[in-house]
Amino acid sequence: MSSHSAPVALAMHLALLSCISFGGFPSVLPDLRNFVVAGNGWVTDQEFTNFFALAQAVPGPNMILLMSFIGWKVGGVPGAIASAVATFGPPCALYFAAYRLWDRFREAPWQMIVRRGLAPLTIGLVIAGGTVMARTGTGWQGAALTIAAAGLMIRTRINPLWILAGGGAFGGLGLL
Amino acid sequence: MSQVSALTEGNSDVRVTLAALFTEFLKVSLCSFGGGLVWARRAVVEQRHWMSEREFADTLSLCQFMPGPNVIGIAVCVGAKLRGAIGALAALSGFVLIPCAVGFVLGALYLQSAKLPVVHNILDGVSAVAAGLLIATGGRLLMPHLGRPVAVLFAALAFAGVVFTELPLLVVLLGLAPLSVAVAAVQTGRA
Repeated sequence: MSSHSAPVALAMHLALLSCISFGGFPSVLPDLRNFVVAGNGWVTDQEFTNFFALAQAVPGPNMILLMSFIGWKVGGVPGAIASAVATFGPPCALYFAAYRLWDRFREAPWQMIVRRGLAPLTIGLVIAGGTVMARTGTGWQGAALTIAAAGLMIRTRINPLWILAGGGAFGGLGLL
Repeated sequence: MSQVSALTEGNSDVRVTLAALFTEFLKVSLCSFGGGLVWARRAVVEQRHWMSEREFADTLSLCQFMPGPNVIGIAVCVGAKLRGAIGALAALSGFVLIPCAVGFVLGALYLQSAKLPVVHNILDGVSAVAAGLLIATGGRLLMPHLGRPVAVLFAALAFAGVVFTELPLLVVLLGLAPLSVAVAAVQTGRA
């Protein structure tokens, strides 16, 4: 495969993946890894892992960042931009269309029922997301930190940035 | 019906500027270590009152049933609600453009320099806190539903489906959604 067509192939694959990434991008990460590491050899396994950790660490839309790091490796800055757009463009068009449709029937009785049915599931999934994230953490100290953070967030109106900074300081001092 | 008023209580009569949408979602994005949902709910529900707690949860439901990053979906939906297509574009640009550029430059710099263990430790602490914030955000979203035991039950089932089984998210959702909606239909019919 020539170096010119690699970024295009990557962007097309990302556009496809973004359209089937139900439940967010983590659900298609295994496929992505196969495609760029094993399938095409564009990035090494170690690079992929580094990109992932880094994308988690910087604020902002981290899955888009992961894709732009891969695109950067494959085709420089234009490759990074193409990968980013391919990642968020198609889902955004879908979101907009779906919201418009949803909004049009906002007062319909069936939609109120659907809303009442779906909201609890959504909320359960949010809490599950936090729990799964906490489980990958470090030991009982990490768990205590997670619980303390949740308590502060529920009970107080402290800006969460302070809680995050406190957690960072805790870890930086080697207490985790 | 009280639910209708709860759904429309987000202030839609005041015209929100595109700049406000852009900067608010820029802030959400820049703050969102580990997950943007915490910040999106705080900004949209608590600080700007652009949506009620219930409406936010409904929008999130919609986004969870679609492919793609859910929080970006919220930016698109909030923008669309307040100012239509151009509003969606403003919120999306705020969320994506600058943060991605900044993150990309920071990341590229980091990848080309040495990796310090202390950075790794700091990230562990931040990530433990981020998990707690996400759990608390779910707790806050649950509060308006606490009066309905069935709602709490289905929230617990969805939680368990993800945490205690290896099932993919979509399977959990598609498995529980028809049941939960059917129960809601029966309850609504009786009310």
